[in-house]
Amino acid sequence: MLKTLKTGVAATLLMTGAALADGHGGPYAEYAGTTLVVNFPAHPHYNAAIKVLPEFTKETGIEVEVDQLPYLKMRERQTLELAQDEGEYDLIGYVVFSKADYVFADQLENLAKYFMNPKLADPSYDAEDLIDGYVENIGVAGGAKGYLPGKTGSLFGIPFGSETSVLAYRKDIFEKHGIAEPENYEQLLEAACKIPEVEPGMGGMASRAASGHQASHAFLLHLAPLGGRVFDDQWNPIINNAAGVEAANALKTIVDCGPEGAMSFGPAEAANAFANGDAAMFMDSIAFMPGFEDPDRSKVVGKVGYAMHPEGVRRGSQTGGFGIAIPKNAENKEAAFLLMQWLTSKKGDLMVAMEGGNPSRFSTYQDAGLNEKFPFSATFGEALKFADPDWRPIIPVWGKINADIGTTMSKVLTEDLDIQAALDGVAERTRAVMDEAGYYTWQ
Amino acid sequence: MSIARVNRLSPYMFMAPAMVIMAIALLYPLGYMIWGSFRDWNPSQSIGEAEFVGLKNYITLWNDPNFHESLVVTLRFAFFVVSIEMVLGVGLALLLDRDIRGMSVLRTMFILPMMIAPVVVGLMWRYMYHPTIGTFNRFLESIGLPKVDWLGDYALTSIIIADIWQWTPFIFILSLAALQSLPRSALEASRIDGATPWQQIWHIKLPLMMPVLIVTGLLRLIDAFKVLEVILVMTNGGPGLSTEILALRISRTATEFRELGVAAAMSNYLLILLLLLTVGMFAFTRLQEARAARVRAAAEDDS
Repeated sequence: MLKTLKTGVAATLLMTGAALADGHGGPYAEYAGTTLVVNFPAHPHYNAAIKVLPEFTKETGIEVEVDQLPYLKMRERQTLELAQDEGEYDLIGYVVFSKADYVFADQLENLAKYFMNPKLADPSYDAEDLIDGYVENIGVAGGAKGYLPGKTGSLFGIPFGSETSVLAYRKDIFEKHGIAEPENYEQLLEAACKIPEVEPGMGGMASRAASGHQASHAFLLHLAPLGGRVFDDQWNPIINNAAGVEAANALKTIVDCGPEGAMSFGPAEAANAFANGDAAMFMDSIAFMPGFEDPDRSKVVGKVGYAMHPEGVRRGSQTGGFGIAIPKNAENKEAAFLLMQWLTSKKGDLMVAMEGGNPSRFSTYQDAGLNEKFPFSATFGEALKFADPDWRPIIPVWGKINADIGTTMSKVLTEDLDIQAALDGVAERTRAVMDEAGYYTWQ
Repeated sequence: MSIARVNRLSPYMFMAPAMVIMAIALLYPLGYMIWGSFRDWNPSQSIGEAEFVGLKNYITLWNDPNFHESLVVTLRFAFFVVSIEMVLGVGLALLLDRDIRGMSVLRTMFILPMMIAPVVVGLMWRYMYHPTIGTFNRFLESIGLPKVDWLGDYALTSIIIADIWQWTPFIFILSLAALQSLPRSALEASRIDGATPWQQIWHIKLPLMMPVLIVTGLLRLIDAFKVLEVILVMTNGGPGLSTEILALRISRTATEFRELGVAAAMSNYLLILLLLLTVGMFAFTRLQEARAARVRAAAEDDS
């Protein structure tokens, strides 16, 4: 009896789904009743996305089953899953640096054939509205340097849950001591070291600095705006040039003038230090910023000003976070594309943003309703125009180089290693890694 | 088939199931790892697709300064941890080997640390070591001493302290068991001969406990070489590479650098090192036993 009832309910639901889809012109009708299995990271943005998925099911009749994992575990899982003949996932959220691995191993669908298919592609999607830096960083591969857009590039994923860096600072403290909102690196570093002098017990800026990925991230964050790069166009390491030394010096100054224990901070510790009032500035991903306005987690609600990542010789804030893509071995690729398109459409993007996600579209950041709910949205939208897709290379051997930069930077911060010598060492080892990976075959 | 032949084969037939299980459960994974260590293998490939590179992974590691540093950190960590734990654990066992009221409760409390999941231990200590809100620094501050950057400047010492806290009870509990199974007659005889408690410990208890202590020490040593979670949570190997022990480096090589072949080669180096240590330790005990037997034989000859 119960079983019959269940089937009955399911059938009714199905029919409603189909009928509704039909009511909307029918692009979804063919796929109503399909169940998609998606793999999402445990991340505030994806938590927000999961809240709007029922709306998608209601509108299209396509069911979605979510497998959510911590993002580093997720990458291991995906690596195993994508290598199978038949995969479990129809849609995956992937960390930006996985793009190189997955595309290189030919495991992601090229999206061109879906956007060409008139039955699938929504003409009002307005791809031009997607944030350029994100699409270039997360979605496209095969152009310049292999991992960037260009005439030979094509699209493999769409940014979803992407991030850039902005500067959060304590308006009250800055006003009290007559310090201006930092617009360039000179002002930033000056403010960072002035704060501990005038406000005893408070650090200047809370920054990531822990050995490994965190220290590397913090260094690269300053490298791009100060005019540096890890490689030149011929893949020669130039991390040890003047800009590299300046970036390392900037990081060292920030950590030295930072709150206590700053040398072992990961992003969460740094954000906590700022939310706790132990530091006057925090420059990191926008994903942390909504937390500062949450009275349960933050002691600085209402006291925080948000500014663009200060300018060095150029503007260049980070690009990172996640994108969504369809695995080559997925079972329901077309329905997965429909979900992907729906989530990143103007409507879907705004819905996710209203739940606390990170928008992927310029128009979403300008939405009046969103700005009312999250007052920093307009600044973020402005900052995104300068998001730098090439602030760190996305190549298969990056993990190893990243770890080397990270441990070396950590040694610079804790053991007072000479910066030039340390960076020369990184450049030399990086050259060896690149040589072995075949990047100098044509030289 | 002749009856004689069946008879000859029957022991092997009885052993066969055990052999099969052993081959599948033990030798296959081990062989897989050794086979993998000769390949340039990344996680997106199956092992068959990976290119065979011979001993290249081993040679790369042999010349890799980061691997050397990791190895030195591991050796230092294991040496300090095991020697301090042995002294403390055996000392505690000697102290608590008596009938006091509430002894069983006390013993249970002593072994609590090793029942806690390693990740929890790591988190607990990480927060106790926290520079501003941590227990230790708050205490130092309250008695007017300067704060210490536990997980920064003294990272290796700090993780050694945490490991000692967690694993001393293991040695304590095994030594206590050994102590309680010692022949009472030898102790009574020594007491009648007028031996002081110190003499009893040095000349009777410790020598009689030695076989157990050696095995205990060996178990701890093997464990100390493989400890991962506590350090992963506390420092993630930093600052620099100062606490990056081999197990952590292996895990990072496999997941972060995506070099499964190199990670397998590193595991094999660790395996060889542990094998040498174990063999050395057993050889040493055998040697001691042989010497003891010789002494005993000589004594019997004299009488």
